[in-house]
Amino acid sequence: MTSALTEVRRREAPAEAPSADRRKKPPSLRKARTFYLFVAPWIIGFVALTVFPLGYAFWLSLTDSDGLSPRTHFVGFDNYVEIFKDPLTLSSLGKTGLFALVTVPLSILAGLLLAVMLNQPIKGRGLLRGLIYLPAVVPPVGAALTFRLIFDRDAGAANGVLSGLGANPITWLVDPNVRYVLYALVLWGCGGSMIISLAGLQDIPRELLEAAQVDGASYWQSFTRITVPLLSPVILFQVITGVIGSLQSFAPLLLSSGSLSGAGTVPQGNYLYMIHVFAQYFSASRFGYASAMLWMLFAVILLVTLVIIKVSARTVFYTVEPGGQK
Amino acid sequence: MTTTNPGFSRRRFLALGGAVAGSAASGALAVGCSPASSTNTPAATGTGSSAKGVVTVMSQSGEFGPKEAKAASQALGLTVKTVEYDLTKLTAMLASGNPPDVVRGMGATETPYLVARQVAENLDPYFAKSTLIKADDIDPVNDVWRYDGEKQGSGPRYGFAKDYSQDCTIWYNGALFDAAKVTRPSATTPLLLDELLDEGRRLVKRQGAKVSVYGLNPNGLGLFGQLTWMTDLAGGKLTADDLASVDFSTPEAQRALTWYLEYAKAGIGPTVLNPDPNGWDGPTFQAGRMATTLSGYWLGGLFAGDPKSAKVAGFAPAPQFDTGRRVSPCFGATGLWMPKAGKNKDAAWAVMEWYLAGDPAKARASGGWGIPPLKSLQKLMPQKLPYQKQAYDVQMAEKEHFSVTSYTPYVRQDAINAVITRELPKAIKGSTSVGQFADTLNTQINAQLADGKKRLR
Repeated sequence: MTSALTEVRRREAPAEAPSADRRKKPPSLRKARTFYLFVAPWIIGFVALTVFPLGYAFWLSLTDSDGLSPRTHFVGFDNYVEIFKDPLTLSSLGKTGLFALVTVPLSILAGLLLAVMLNQPIKGRGLLRGLIYLPAVVPPVGAALTFRLIFDRDAGAANGVLSGLGANPITWLVDPNVRYVLYALVLWGCGGSMIISLAGLQDIPRELLEAAQVDGASYWQSFTRITVPLLSPVILFQVITGVIGSLQSFAPLLLSSGSLSGAGTVPQGNYLYMIHVFAQYFSASRFGYASAMLWMLFAVILLVTLVIIKVSARTVFYTVEPGGQK
Repeated sequence: MTTTNPGFSRRRFLALGGAVAGSAASGALAVGCSPASSTNTPAATGTGSSAKGVVTVMSQSGEFGPKEAKAASQALGLTVKTVEYDLTKLTAMLASGNPPDVVRGMGATETPYLVARQVAENLDPYFAKSTLIKADDIDPVNDVWRYDGEKQGSGPRYGFAKDYSQDCTIWYNGALFDAAKVTRPSATTPLLLDELLDEGRRLVKRQGAKVSVYGLNPNGLGLFGQLTWMTDLAGGKLTADDLASVDFSTPEAQRALTWYLEYAKAGIGPTVLNPDPNGWDGPTFQAGRMATTLSGYWLGGLFAGDPKSAKVAGFAPAPQFDTGRRVSPCFGATGLWMPKAGKNKDAAWAVMEWYLAGDPAKARASGGWGIPPLKSLQKLMPQKLPYQKQAYDVQMAEKEHFSVTSYTPYVRQDAINAVITRELPKAIKGSTSVGQFADTLNTQINAQLADGKKRLR
């Protein structure tokens, strides 16, 4: 009854006061104003903290600025051209690519494996989840410092264990071994990946797995045909954020010295792209070139993300509600 | 419910957005720290000053922090604020035209770099009218803060040291010398560098292949400084007179390189291939794990509060080669300078003068964390403990062997040290010869210098 009356009023309303409505602002404009008022803080923050710094960095990338001297010269795209001629830049980019190729899949796989194990009804799994996640919340500086102490050649626990076993000590923190210490440092935080995968696993409807079991599917078949496809959006998310994080990683700097000006002292095995950027900014004071390197990194990240999205188009499956809503 | 394989979607848009935002965050930076010397700022005496306004000091909190700012405010009638020293922040403040009024700096290595970029203020007019700093009272080490556009050590003063050390003087652990039956270094006759190396070999203690006690650490404040000094001792010059190129291929420079590579290959102390996890010598020395270190007088400040180290610590002159040439350099002379674009220079000078020559300077002098920059304050250096008295006597005699080394204005020392550190492992491992190492350093460092010079055009 009420619905019918309301319906009638809605129909009748325009006839009652058409002139008054014309004087008011259209609802779409009012909605737009409300929308912009609500998003204004974000837009202001985005312009001030992202657009402006990016623009400033782009302007710097067209100069030979050293960050101090007022005598800065416009050099056009020379810095961008130099990127393709600088062997250190290219080799650091290659090392970064390798770093991403190794650490991203390993982190995701380790996280997924742990998530699958801790998704089982085992005793004390809450405690285990907490313990495994704990390293992910340790500040990176603290974790790196701890690793430096553990892997010190003369006083570290790692070589202490080796000595106890009668083996010779290993110089972990220099080339070529320091690369493996870095991988270990990154994998140490795979609890973060575990939590995301665990959330994804718990979102998978139990009836699907039960139906598969009734149909005689083995655990492996259920895992590969149901669990993994339904987890694929979560895995894609981890791949994209993992690759971005790897390309921007400055963990080697923390592992070596912790000081920005120490970027130039990072062992060559861990001399990743961002380390070279830091070295150009804070050791070589080549602010123009380093800014160009950051813009190039931006382009690389954009390109890699697009490639991942394109490649994943046939392998990622999204849940769709019966009405067609994703 | 079904599964599907869609094309570009809202989720994909968000993922792409994440990539963009992630890239934008590329500039996220961490701030490093280094061991700061201790200052024991006394209560303000309220001397007053005609300068007014707000003065911002950018320094390390262990040197000029909020406590010192409060004392300066009370003493001078100014508002003094502090900003933690951070190169990134300094650069941003300079770029915005709103720099700190006073900045911490290392005079020995930074003065030509700052002056060539027209960033530092000429302080001569302020020194001329200073009531606390008299020309005849200024220790010669402060000449590292002078630069005439061609040479360091002459020309206007652009800063002043808060304290300094002759950084190649030796601290040794006497107990470790006695245990190894090695004669302790003389307090008057410098060791030869080859003797130092030999003693390092005898002093090192190993547990299997691990080093439990370092025999020697000659790394100082950076290898370029050390190699420059050793080349000088050998009778040559590493940097050309125009400060625009280096030459590691001269016999003198080769001698310096060879000595260092012998040290590194001997495995008797920290190197780029086996760094000290402590990052500096203090904790290692205090733990009885460092027999000899070329660290300079300031390290002794650490031992005053550590009876165990005070009992065994000894101080000796900087070593030399057998050429007869004796040089005892200073690579730091850490102090304060004033940005040219500062807004309140008179007040900034009042703060500098108070901190560098007033009551805080007297308190620092008695702390033993460095040699005071004014001769009149040097009598306040600690001499109560036996090691302090011995170090004082050695240090006073060592002063006459100081001379200013000119550093290049074209690149930061960090950049040169980075090249050396990058190429050094190959030379230590023997995959490149000393000659090849020298050639590589020449090529790469000279390219850096040429680039820096071009940018200063």
